[in-house]
Amino acid sequence: MELVRATSLEQVDGGIAIHGGTEVVPLLRDGILQTEKLVDIRGVIPRGVAGNRIGAGTTLAELEVDPQVPDALREACRLAASPQLRNMGSIGGNLLQSTRCWYWRLKYPCHLHGGDRCHAREGEHREHAIFANDYCASAHPSDVAAALLALGTRVHTTQRELALEDLYRLPTVEERELVTLAPGELILELELPPVDASVYLKAMDRKRWAFPQVGVAAARVGGETRIALAGVAPVPWLLDGVDGLDAATPLPRTAWKVEVARALVRRAVTSVAAK
Amino acid sequence: MSDVLLTVNGQSYSAYAPVGMSLAQLLREELGFTGTKIACNEGHCGACTVQIDGVPVLSCITLAHNVTGEITTIEGLRDHPLIEAFVEADAVQCGFCTPGQVVSAAALVAATPDPTVDQIRHQMAGNICRCGTYPRIEEAIQKWRG
Ligand SMILES: Cc1cc2nc3c(=O)[nH]c(=O)nc-3n(C[C@H](O)[C@H](O)[C@H](O)COP(=O)(O)OP(=O)(O)OC[C@H]3O[C@@H](n4cnc5c(N)ncnc54)[C@H](O)[C@@H]3O)c2cc1C
Ligand code: SF4
Ligand code: FES
Ligand code: FES
Repeated sequence: MELVRATSLEQVDGGIAIHGGTEVVPLLRDGILQTEKLVDIRGVIPRGVAGNRIGAGTTLAELEVDPQVPDALREACRLAASPQLRNMGSIGGNLLQSTRCWYWRLKYPCHLHGGDRCHAREGEHREHAIFANDYCASAHPSDVAAALLALGTRVHTTQRELALEDLYRLPTVEERELVTLAPGELILELELPPVDASVYLKAMDRKRWAFPQVGVAAARVGGETRIALAGVAPVPWLLDGVDGLDAATPLPRTAWKVEVARALVRRAVTSVAAK
Repeated sequence: MSDVLLTVNGQSYSAYAPVGMSLAQLLREELGFTGTKIACNEGHCGACTVQIDGVPVLSCITLAHNVTGEITTIEGLRDHPLIEAFVEADAVQCGFCTPGQVVSAAALVAATPDPTVDQIRHQMAGNICRCGTYPRIEEAIQKWRG
């Protein structure tokens, strides 16, 4: 394996991009990612916050204390992972993190690895999805993505500009990839609309340093209240209004998440209405 | 295999290692800085914490070849008042997590010399102590200046 330190975007040509490496390094070590070439993109990805634009290379630690950043995003960063991981991890890499489904991480030949079944649906799935869990029942682990989704974020890449919801797609037999980036396409910046009020609430199995069981972001943006959830579907989930949870299709051992989500949605919506 | 050039505790080192080797492994096995511990080796526990340019990071999931800043390991904090504070507060049981705890705590008190309990809990959350010495660790950090 070789490591190339890119100094211009043109040099990012093939191989796997690495920013903080918090996802890439463990996945390489476990053999889930394989490559002959790693490209360190830290030198070519914008970093820092300027008004409503956030460089994809900004770390979660920088965002959790930045007063320019809306509350929901600051709180999602503050509650994500551990201090060391927030120091290392970029927001761009966070949006592209892989599932924490234990079967997938242990390389079970499940649907998402191209196999013929979802081991979680039949097996251990108490941390799994309550929406869109037919083919793959994994639960998207990003607090940050849920916050950005509620905030109505637009993503600027090396090739195009798109709404954050269009960065993700549900996996199917034909296309297992959860993100819509083309090979070699890089996220450069995130752009936020003017936000009136926002909040992020997170249920976890301990008070600090845990993935979301359920994360709920709510934001008042241009007179509309948007609600987005982490930990409930294979991709970050935009909820169809406060009653959106009525449409949940929980698995036998994920029904508890519906109740947790209901409570958090109620609190989040009340909180942004009052702000 | 390729060359790695690193600055550790103010001194320059070079090694010849395969791309993909972690900073933790390189520090311990090639350069002899065995104060940095490896426990989970996957980013969960904080035993392997070192500072890069003063910022705590996990050396077990950092690629040695990808380090550009200056590294501080526990060996570089030998004379830090926190060491005595950990001893005074008896904040060590098996001691395996302690180097990582001190490396994280040193960055905390450099930025916030008088941290509140909540600040300590927030900034130290990435250092897991299997022996559960947390109250003593908190005490050591609160009294780090003696
Ligand atoms: C133990 C652990 C616990 C965690 N807990 C949480 C949590 O509670 N909540 C949460 O939200 N997150 C959590 N995370 C996720 C963490 O925040 C991300 O791993 C981190 O932000 C990823 O950023 P990185 O720069 O390290 O990415 P890397 O590992 O460098 O890259 C990740 C992926 O993104 C690609 N990539 C990186 N940057 C770009 C870019 N600009 N354009 C295109 N592709 C890019 C890489 O090729 C790779 O596929 C956790 C991670 C770990 C390891
Ligand atoms: S939930 Fe998805 S990742 Fe997990 S076993 Fe099922 S198909 Fe695989
Ligand atoms: S050994 Fe690095 S985090 Fe556990
Ligand atoms: S003292 Fe034993 S793990 Fe912390």
